[in-house]
Amino acid sequence: MEPVTVKNSIEIILTPQFYTFIRETLDLKFSYQAKQIAESLFDDYINSSEKYQYHVYKCEDQWCYFAYNIEEIEIFLKSVGIEKHRVSKIYFAQQLSSELEQAIQLSKSSVLQTIDGTVTMLPSKFMNSDTQFNTLNLNSIKLSSGISMGASLNSFISLKETIVLTSLFSLLGVIFILEGSRLKSSISEDDEKLTALLDENTLYGSSIQRSSILGKYQPINDNERAKRQTLKEISKLLSSGSQLESLTINQNTIIANIKTSDRATSSQVTNRAKAKQFKSSANGEMVKVEKKI
Amino acid sequence: MNLMTIQQYKNEIILFISILFALFGFIYKSSANSYVIENKAKIQQQISEINKISSLKDQWAGKNIANKVKVLKNVVASNKINSFNKKSKKLVAKYSNLTAAELNKLSNKLINIPVQIVKLNINQIARNQYTMEFTCKW
Repeated sequence: MEPVTVKNSIEIILTPQFYTFIRETLDLKFSYQAKQIAESLFDDYINSSEKYQYHVYKCEDQWCYFAYNIEEIEIFLKSVGIEKHRVSKIYFAQQLSSELEQAIQLSKSSVLQTIDGTVTMLPSKFMNSDTQFNTLNLNSIKLSSGISMGASLNSFISLKETIVLTSLFSLLGVIFILEGSRLKSSISEDDEKLTALLDENTLYGSSIQRSSILGKYQPINDNERAKRQTLKEISKLLSSGSQLESLTINQNTIIANIKTSDRATSSQVTNRAKAKQFKSSANGEMVKVEKKI
Repeated sequence: MNLMTIQQYKNEIILFISILFALFGFIYKSSANSYVIENKAKIQQQISEINKISSLKDQWAGKNIANKVKVLKNVVASNKINSFNKKSKKLVAKYSNLTAAELNKLSNKLINIPVQIVKLNINQIARNQYTMEFTCKW
């Protein structure tokens, strides 16, 4: 074959000298099952010292098996000036068996023709001198079940599986990263707020200092609120029949003496004081209420 | 690893890279999650502590309290104020001859100012006449 110059990606059709073809009737459902036994089917047909790749597809009721040596194909492609990365798909001439019922001339010395359903390459001299050669118009033929250079290299994973799994894992990766970023940003707002607060109050940076300041002001807050609440409660005990006689607040005790107009009011004040958790005692018309803070 | 081997296992390599990417994403998410769990509560607690301290300090040791306690001098007539000593952050005041209404007004003013009431004595000396003395600080 003459050397060629290829600029774009191309698809190639292998002639029979590059592959070994067999057709088998097997009770199999899936092509991966068929591919699993491919190597054993070719035991008697190919040189076991060389490394072969296998391709299989269903042709009518049978399975069409191809064994080929990708390195051999690559060497050939290189010899004719075709870089392997330019080859997008590889097909087998066998896939054109119906189109090759009438022979086509490959070169001056060889022709390609389907004989008994198998595409075969023949020397031109075997043909009658008056043989009319067909012209193969590849544009009108739709080829399927081609293989890519990568997939032809005995990959454990097919191209389709690679695309599906890679997309899935990439998508998972993106989701994880987005979720991680979202989580981190959820804390960054609080972090900025804390930084701003610490910038304003540098003294509060240490937890020991914070506990110390809290330890000082929290009891003041609790005690003073309790004192004020107690004073309000005492004022509610007073009415037209009861007057404040004295009130004392010491460090943590509030004592009030309430003078009432009669015993009934005294008892009423005592009861109301007890309901408000005061320690109360009545002495005639005088009621003493007391609460510890 | 020559080019042929790379080409041979191209699919596996691509898949392996995508698995590594997913794994990296998972580790990143997990570390972000642990970081957030570990730090969010801590940060929020710190913020709440600082806010609480600021608010308590402003309330019970604010700069305006000294001005606010001056009001206690004007609530009742000056002849009813026996003494009104404000020194540093402490106030000692004595009132006498207060009516019930004045006592009420004065007490209300006092409890509405954020000072620590250290001591408070209210005594009825006659019908509708009270004395009041208190010590407060801030």
